[in-house]
Amino acid sequence: MSENSFEDFVRQHRQEFEAPGPGPRVWANLEEQLNPPRKNRVIQMIGRHWLKAAAILVLLVNSVMIYQFLQMKKSQHLINVSPEMQEAKTYYTSQIEQRLETIKSYPNSVLGLDSVGRKELELRNETYQMLETELIQNPGNERIKAAMVRYYQMKLDLLDKILEELREKQPVSQKQSNYEREI
Amino acid sequence: MQASANNLNNTSITDHLVSRCKKGDTLAFRELYNAYSAAMYNICLRMTGNPADAEDTLQEAFMQVFKNIERLENAGSVTAWIKRIVVNHCLSHLRRKKVYFEEVDNIDVEEETVVDESDFAWTVAAIKEAIHVLPHGYRTVLNLYIFEEYSHKEIASMLDISESTVKTQYMRAKDKVRQIIKQRKLIR
Repeated sequence: MSENSFEDFVRQHRQEFEAPGPGPRVWANLEEQLNPPRKNRVIQMIGRHWLKAAAILVLLVNSVMIYQFLQMKKSQHLINVSPEMQEAKTYYTSQIEQRLETIKSYPNSVLGLDSVGRKELELRNETYQMLETELIQNPGNERIKAAMVRYYQMKLDLLDKILEELREKQPVSQKQSNYEREI
Repeated sequence: MQASANNLNNTSITDHLVSRCKKGDTLAFRELYNAYSAAMYNICLRMTGNPADAEDTLQEAFMQVFKNIERLENAGSVTAWIKRIVVNHCLSHLRRKKVYFEEVDNIDVEEETVVDESDFAWTVAAIKEAIHVLPHGYRTVLNLYIFEEYSHKEIASMLDISESTVKTQYMRAKDKVRQIIKQRKLIR
């Protein structure tokens, strides 16, 4: 018999060396690992994708905050804080603009103001805007409301006085004839 | 069509099965397991030496197969790929049990002793019993070479020892098998 007979024997009888396969518990355990109980799936998914979950949460919180900020800004308009003051504003603004238009219709020579001076007469609302901001921050404050109305009344009084002086200098009829002559 | 160990030689069936496994199809995992579990269990049984450890090792190895099958580029090499994962798990199991595969001092390959085997009437049972009582190191080298059909070079790489050490250990293992059989009079 050759010196390799051990190897030859094994190769010739290879199948006889085989034992039956594994018991059923191996697949049962594998199957359990492949299909973990459903109730843990969400937790496992969050665990696996925690970074994505955190990013989505941050985006959601941001969206809610931006929405609330916009809502707050929207409610901070005068019409929402004090509708009656918005009404007064509309009335006085139209009155002031009407007078300004009349003043502008006078020639510079009669008006006696250069372009800078004329601009000064424009509806400058800085004081009023400051009061409006104050009222938005303190809605219902009657003193601020009174100050706003007084501001408009003072402005109207001032413009009325200017118009009165202008009429004295140049009555309306003459002004119109001058205007026609210019045409 | 269900896959079996026999028809897995058919490339298209193997390709289809591997492709289904890559998609996470549990039924495909089951078919793959059915096709290979018996052969792989035998490797585990030979390497670990007992059925309980063999089953545990097989389970670990198949879990790794299922997890990593996405990375398998060539479906045609699935058998060799699974076998290598199983063998690696068996070797890890042995290392955990403090089995070391050390270099032999004499790195010159020993001359194979000419043994008159004419008195030997080998039997499967006698060889199995003799291998079972071999020291872990010898048994591992002998199993990897004679049963799993890896070359001396491949075994050397797996065990991180030299090829000459593998050859020496294999010859010593074979001699040991003969001695055990003679001493125990396993062959009459």
